[in-house]
Amino acid sequence: SARTMLPLLLLLLPAAHGIAQLRYKPALTQDPRLEGLTTASTFVVDQPHCVFKDYGDAEIWLVVALDQATSSFNNSAGPGTSETAFQSFPNPVRAYMTLNATLGSYPCPKPAGDIRVLRVGSETSCAQDETRPTCNGPLPGPGPYRVKFLALEGSVPVAETEWSAKIMLRTAKPPSSITTTGSGHSAGMIAITTILSILFAILLAGLMAMLVFCGSDSCGGSSTFSKPEPVSVRRYNTHHVYDQPAARL
Amino acid sequence: MAKSDDCVHILQGLLVFGNVVIGMCGIALTAECIYFVSDPHGLYPLLKTTENGDIYAAAWIGIFVGLALFALSILGIIGVIKASRTLLLVYIILMLITFAFEMASCITAATHQDSFTPELFLKQMLERYQKSEPANNSDNEVTKTWDELMIQNHCCGVLGPSDWQEYTSAFRRTHSDADYPWPRMCCALDAQRLPVNLDGCKLGVPGYYNSNGCYDAISGPVSTHAWGVAWFGFAILCWTFCVLLGTMFYWSGIEY
Repeated sequence: SARTMLPLLLLLLPAAHGIAQLRYKPALTQDPRLEGLTTASTFVVDQPHCVFKDYGDAEIWLVVALDQATSSFNNSAGPGTSETAFQSFPNPVRAYMTLNATLGSYPCPKPAGDIRVLRVGSETSCAQDETRPTCNGPLPGPGPYRVKFLALEGSVPVAETEWSAKIMLRTAKPPSSITTTGSGHSAGMIAITTILSILFAILLAGLMAMLVFCGSDSCGGSSTFSKPEPVSVRRYNTHHVYDQPAARL
Repeated sequence: MAKSDDCVHILQGLLVFGNVVIGMCGIALTAECIYFVSDPHGLYPLLKTTENGDIYAAAWIGIFVGLALFALSILGIIGVIKASRTLLLVYIILMLITFAFEMASCITAATHQDSFTPELFLKQMLERYQKSEPANNSDNEVTKTWDELMIQNHCCGVLGPSDWQEYTSAFRRTHSDADYPWPRMCCALDAQRLPVNLDGCKLGVPGYYNSNGCYDAISGPVSTHAWGVAWFGFAILCWTFCVLLGTMFYWSGIEY
């Protein structure tokens, strides 16, 4: 009986200590600025470097929960069970566990120059696969969601972080909501139309006047624009001398 | 008499000069409109589907008007030098017809210039890009045009990659948001047109995706086109107006 008591005591010992509450709040990545920080079904959080450094043997899981389900989440619910399967999220499962890693994946201090983030919702291949309950599948709605990290040794939770702030995802509007009525007519277009219309009207009036008044050559006497003559010979008769053979008779 | 002769010669000289300028501007207008019609930026499929293809109709009219202006200016020069009433009457009437066509072309170009807004292209892109069952060939052309536009100009969407996030689209119906926050053409691509770093592109890490919108790349050439047709045509027409008035005055003074 002492033999059976020992493992039981060892099992109860960590539980007797309780789960360590780490003062770390997971947050959306602020540095570097990412365009895809939140999309309609994914979001990006920082990796928890230097947070779990006292728990070298633990497996660190990410818990994603609906905002209303944070207080009712049971830390002892194991990952990969039907209570925490991604495929049943958000109904009836209200919080699922995914993205497990060991401490080695989150080195301390954080290596400079690397972009180390966790993209929640990036695995689309297993989203419907019931045999992969810890799938990091795309989130089904705009939220709000909250996340926290949970360290498990074996299947016993040993440490947890605080819940993050509320994370809202983007909602897409339909393209029919875009108004394309335009900005009206610009001054340039109005100017062009008006001026050209006036000019054209003046020309038409000029043409009418031209044809009506000058059509039957009532304009243009010999004193205005004469046609160029190819030869210009003028004969001057200084004396009234005429050839009048008939008058002599 | 001598003064009248001087006036005649001055008026003739002015009219000949005016017609020479009209002829040269006609050639320039034809050349400019041929350039626009040849669509060097490959934007015609986008404009065709927004019911703004009329801007190309304006350019086509401009080609023929330019040639007509050149031919008529030669006729005008001959008519002025020979002081022939018939020739000048024909010249005036044909010029008025050409004036009317060019007026239509200018006003069309100026009107459509006003209707180019980012929202117009955004709506068209969201509804037609990568449409899974293309209704007609123009949807395929829209997709191809956008792909080339995004690759050549290193841009994404109309205002930015967030266009694909803020609105649902035909693209979104066939491509999941988690795998394709924005189309692959928005990623920084290598020589084989494959993303340099797909994860970086999906995350939106600066340097691995195109963060600018393509609206500047579209509106720049289209605005130049519209302004080129509208305002150059307007300038030619103002000059033509003066020459025509002078020709009418000259015509009414020619003795029969």
